[in-house]
Amino acid sequence: MPSIEDALEEVTRTDIEIEAALDPAEPDGVFRDSRECTGLALQSGGGHLLLSPPTPRPKKG
Amino acid sequence: MEQSSTSALLQGTVLDLASDVVSALRSGDHARAGGTLARDGAGGNIARAAVRVLGADTLLPTALLRVPPDPGRLAVFKDAVTAHPPRADAAPAVVWSHWAMARALRRLDEPLPGPLAGDGDTEPDAAWLEDAGWQSLTHQLAVLAPLALPGEECAVTRVARRRPVDVARGFVRAVRRRDWQQAAGAGRWLTLLDGVPDTLGLDTGLDFVRLMGGSDPRVALQLEAARLMPAGVLL
Repeated sequence: MPSIEDALEEVTRTDIEIEAALDPAEPDGVFRDSRECTGLALQSGGGHLLLSPPTPRPKKG
Repeated sequence: MEQSSTSALLQGTVLDLASDVVSALRSGDHARAGGTLARDGAGGNIARAAVRVLGADTLLPTALLRVPPDPGRLAVFKDAVTAHPPRADAAPAVVWSHWAMARALRRLDEPLPGPLAGDGDTEPDAAWLEDAGWQSLTHQLAVLAPLALPGEECAVTRVARRRPVDVARGFVRAVRRRDWQQAAGAGRWLTLLDGVPDTLGLDTGLDFVRLMGGSDPRVALQLEAARLMPAGVLL
């Protein structure tokens, strides 16, 4: 049978997990490339959402 | 970093719960979101934690479709509100999430459980959101998507109403970053806001989010909410 300490530890761990899930950091983004944007524009038949050029990515090196 | 077993179990239960809500929203039948959640033992602990994470959206079929909540689910919901109040130093999103759950109970005319019984409808502070940049605003609003309901009136919804163009920019950014959960949450907010630019192409964008990220039940939940939103009637 689990001890009171074990039970308290479990509750504390669960509360930490809950808070992390409720206040998540923004994940790193994976940006779309121009070909995909064009494909979406053709597929959607006139949507405007992704017709603009892709967001510049930081240059490597 | 290795994920703890508690974390994995909690995440899995949240996904199952979100799937149930999506099924209920699609079918219009609360029974699909039935009382399969445990209340006792270790299973009960995880179920309460999962309901606390999904928050007020656990009862979304009731809010949007006017179907009565499943009694078993409602009982676990009340348990979760009582068992996991925000700590004194909790982040605003955690505090607002808890407030949204209590608000959902008040909307159902359900007595608030335990220590919350004496609380009024006092809102938490939203100052942290007032001055947020558009990227951070969108991230926070997506996290607080359970507050995006027709007729909802609180400090968070008032900030969102004042900044439709910023939320629209944040939606596009989220799509381009492939952050489907944020995009779906922001899209849900946009369905409620006046002054969203027509050039955004929100419907097309939401279709795209569904295509790319709709297999995640948490994303699907927000998209179903967005789909139902214009017709949604708050109890």
